[in-house]
Amino acid sequence: MASSDALPGPRRPRPLSPHLSVYRLTMTMAMSIVHRITGAALYVGVLLLAWFLIAASADAATFAVFSGFIQSFIGRLMLFGFTWALFHHLIGGIRHIVWDSGYGLDAPLRDQMAWATLIGGFALTIVVWGVGYAVR
Amino acid sequence: MAEHPSDLRTPLGRVRFLGAARTGTTDAWFVHVTSIALIPLTVGFVWLILDLLRKDYNGVRAELARPIPAILLLAFILAGIVHMELGMRSIIVDYINGQSRAWALAANTLFAALLALACVYATLRIAFT
Repeated sequence: MASSDALPGPRRPRPLSPHLSVYRLTMTMAMSIVHRITGAALYVGVLLLAWFLIAASADAATFAVFSGFIQSFIGRLMLFGFTWALFHHLIGGIRHIVWDSGYGLDAPLRDQMAWATLIGGFALTIVVWGVGYAVR
Repeated sequence: MAEHPSDLRTPLGRVRFLGAARTGTTDAWFVHVTSIALIPLTVGFVWLILDLLRKDYNGVRAELARPIPAILLLAFILAGIVHMELGMRSIIVDYINGQSRAWALAANTLFAALLALACVYATLRIAFT
């Protein structure tokens, strides 16, 4: 950026818009950063899906390695985390589409929607894992 | 940006009347389009995985060789990987500056492309062999 200051010496700090430390943490702020964190986690988590597909496209012994990993404690923990991140990000994404359409931005509703994202993400994860253990 | 010591205009003055950014909303548009596609696709994907949990190697391959599960999976992979590439792009431009931003953006695109190719290839191989 070109400086228009003719004065020598250190530049004056540029004005910043009010940032994180200025505001009390609100539910919508918290869900905003969790949306980004779950998105980044899913970015890495898709490697599990790639591993699954590559293993299934290879022979039975290769698939058994994946199968053994995903059934281990660490594997289940990663899959549980992936499930939660997926549902949280899904509901958060729907909330953002609603907001982007201009609805649900008023004071009580926007907080209720943020809470619904948090609770709904956990609820769907538990339901799906319950179904998963019931059907296998 | 280059220095303009002889230019007395402010940064705002230099860019006014140059017109709209035009393609500036392309990324945001495709994030939204893929997110809408991913609502039903994610439900279908979770349904498919719950079904596959009960199956062994041969059962998984037989299921993924059927047209609807295979097409559902391919659609989920393509929409999901485009969505995550765009999402990571916005994370990168928010937190990384300078030369490393360019490297991070390139790495993001190359990673997403490689992942998409591997997943699509594996799915087609299961479906057609």
